[in-house]
Amino acid sequence: MPNKTIDEVLNNPENKDKLYGYVGQILRLNLTTKTSEIVSTYKYVPKYLGGRELCNKIFYDEVPPGTDPFDPENKLIYMTGATTATGIPTGGRTEMTGIAANNLPSQYSFSGIGGWIGAEFKFAGYDGIIIEGAADSPTYIKIDDESVEFLSAEDEWGLKVHDTQRALNDKHGYDFKCMVIGPAGENLCRNASITTSNDNVMAKSGFGAVFGSKKLKAIICRGTGVVPVANIEKLLELRLKMGDPYMRVSPLQPQTVQGLPGGEAEGNWVRGNISCSHGCNQHCNCLMMGTKSVFADEDINHVEKCVSPVAYGFMNDIPNTINANWMTEQNHMQPCKLLSREFSEPDPTDPYFEEMTAPILPDIFNFWKPDFDKGNMINELCNEYGLDKWDVLIWLLPWLAMGQKEGVFDDIDFGMPVDVESSEFVAHILESIAYRKGKYGDILAEGMARAIRTLGKEKFGETNYSGRFSQILGKPLDLPISMETAWGHSFHWQGRGFEATITKPTWLATTIELMTSSRDMQTVEHHHDKYENHIKAVVAPYDSQVLVDSIIMNENKGEMKDSVTCCEWQSPDIYWSSMEAEMYEAATGYPMTEAELNQSAERSKLIYRAILIRNFERSRKMEVEAVWPGISIPDPWGEVADWDGFNRLVDRYYDTRGWDRETAWPYRETWQRAGLDFIADDMEKIGKLPTK
Amino acid sequence: MEQRQLGKHVVQYSGAYSFCAGCNSCEAICGLVHDGVVSPSYNRLFIERGGTRDMVCHLKSCQQCLDHPCYEACPKKDVAMCVDENGITYVNEEYCVGCGACQRACVYEPARINLSAAHKKKERKSKKCDLCRTRKNGPACVEYCPVRCLGVSTEPEGQVTDPKLDVAAKKLSVFTGNLGDKTPELAADSAN
Repeated sequence: MPNKTIDEVLNNPENKDKLYGYVGQILRLNLTTKTSEIVSTYKYVPKYLGGRELCNKIFYDEVPPGTDPFDPENKLIYMTGATTATGIPTGGRTEMTGIAANNLPSQYSFSGIGGWIGAEFKFAGYDGIIIEGAADSPTYIKIDDESVEFLSAEDEWGLKVHDTQRALNDKHGYDFKCMVIGPAGENLCRNASITTSNDNVMAKSGFGAVFGSKKLKAIICRGTGVVPVANIEKLLELRLKMGDPYMRVSPLQPQTVQGLPGGEAEGNWVRGNISCSHGCNQHCNCLMMGTKSVFADEDINHVEKCVSPVAYGFMNDIPNTINANWMTEQNHMQPCKLLSREFSEPDPTDPYFEEMTAPILPDIFNFWKPDFDKGNMINELCNEYGLDKWDVLIWLLPWLAMGQKEGVFDDIDFGMPVDVESSEFVAHILESIAYRKGKYGDILAEGMARAIRTLGKEKFGETNYSGRFSQILGKPLDLPISMETAWGHSFHWQGRGFEATITKPTWLATTIELMTSSRDMQTVEHHHDKYENHIKAVVAPYDSQVLVDSIIMNENKGEMKDSVTCCEWQSPDIYWSSMEAEMYEAATGYPMTEAELNQSAERSKLIYRAILIRNFERSRKMEVEAVWPGISIPDPWGEVADWDGFNRLVDRYYDTRGWDRETAWPYRETWQRAGLDFIADDMEKIGKLPTK
Repeated sequence: MEQRQLGKHVVQYSGAYSFCAGCNSCEAICGLVHDGVVSPSYNRLFIERGGTRDMVCHLKSCQQCLDHPCYEACPKKDVAMCVDENGITYVNEEYCVGCGACQRACVYEPARINLSAAHKKKERKSKKCDLCRTRKNGPACVEYCPVRCLGVSTEPEGQVTDPKLDVAAKKLSVFTGNLGDKTPELAADSAN
């Protein structure tokens, strides 16, 4: 029922709560039968908010244990939020979940994406889509309001990402929005991504490869209907208040360098700050204008965000300060301000100013020297092949750099001598992976975690790199050549490897957050809390209830952010904790307190937990063993985690969550508290309901 | 396109002054303040996005042509399509029958008049920028543009109050040509 008027949305008999914000339909797309059907959104909302919480509920209901990522029975569930396409800032962010291709072991996971396609789905009348089955030949799905067609993608199969987008837009018109995969997805590279407009990518979890396994090249959508908003006055207030201060001009800026501090490459380009998603009031993405293309004799513009600068030179880790994570009311700001370089002036009258802003010196790595053209090339190749840049820049290339220096590749023929300083070699290895060329291209296309195990983990994963140097200690420190953390992902703000410059309470927090997740915990990446809590936690972090409460707050904010929906670069705002509830209420008109929204976030976390326990045998042993090797590597201060202390922290965390210490499974009352009695019953039937 | 005589209208400033972030806030806010919804069928101005290797956005807004062909084409002229005392051509939706004659008469490509899509024909209405003529603060798209890259044509482009930004804008003037080349209307700094 797209093309609805506002009255038609609100007077839908199934919309018993008279909810604004949603459009009322979820589109089920079956690639095996090439059929679609409508599922009512009101079957789920408002209890299961939308976004990731709604994905979790549908996956729990529909996908049984024993399903693998590339099975037709695996479902990719994509959901917008009640705020999407309402004009509430950051609401353009959307979520996809399913069994991930690049997790190790294979597990249910998730990935977020911005762009305009989420809003377009809502204009077409759909709050989300469920992708199931598998086509027998290359296919793309065209959604034009109520019209849904499964079309042959034989002409597009084999095209790179931007060529695919252009071909589909040329064929159907530029008012269609699209999400597409490149050659990496087609060839089932486990770290393949899905790309929408403005180089917005869902890269985590390897859902591009799941698209490929379903022979699904793209989904394109055009909508003309309405998204009703409950409280426009409040919406306008939120636009002014969220991410404050904003509303300033943002001129194009000529640049002469690009890259991380210490690894900046010289090169001329123009920076434009742009938004990643519909209706946002921030512009934290960087449009790099006027750079040379690898594939054509032309200058191009491409969008880069947080990890891309690594491509231009990777000599050191990133310098940091404590108040990037732990802040005071006088000195706090949203990360989007950092990316758009519009941060406010720090306030030195803050009594904690000096200790909070003292620089934490990064480790020296010397992985590869600054090279502007090579950096552009790496980013463009990842963009065009549809490869997760994080995997390439933080794992594959550093592994090649470290392994080559330590001599582990002496007996391996990659088709060219290993040399990450060489553009030719880097282009060769990325092409080999994206097209699974040769023995080692095929092995590396399985993702770094699997590839290293195939090659031999002891030699190719655990060999020590002798080139890490701690600037804090003034001496070398150990680092394995493979920067692997848990669940088949690489380090990310965990106190070692990349983005290691965080204090012990912080890396303990991010490690617990990673432990109960199934992927890089990027969704709560920059653990946030008040500096006063850091002061308390740093005294005895393994025995700190303050730290555990902080972890749970961040985890719940992550679920909330992905379900309302909003963006991790604005949420959470530590000094405006009701922000997400205010956003949801303004969009839907449904009364929502901060406490109620927090309960919904806990519900989302618990359904996620139920899927991991029921479908993927999640347990305490599995979780602790997954994260322990990572924190056994020294942090920049030379400290490693203490086994007994870490286990005490895990005990305290499980206790606070209402999960059994021994198994890490929630008790019946924990499920009940979140309104999930049916899951408690299910868990009892399969013998996974612990008793106190 | 021949040089037309234009009235006061919403313009996009050059990237040297402030670069459009492509956020669609102007489109969304337009539908919200006028109709209480966000919809591509309801906004009265449009963001045209560059291709996948460009990604530069261009505003397409009603130019308030002084000879107002849309008004002339309306079968219910002075009832459904009117011109106010300030020369602003606007739609009185109560009487608009959604015939689309005004949209077809628009001399710009794409037409700067929207036509709300609806299954029921009688609910179709022309949606045309009227500069928020009854709104105290003027055009809402201008007021809520996060990067202040929108303004009205009668005001000097980018009233720069920060001298540092003024210097930056001058240094960047070399890039404005690249943007202006994309559409004839944008070439003259702010005349779109």
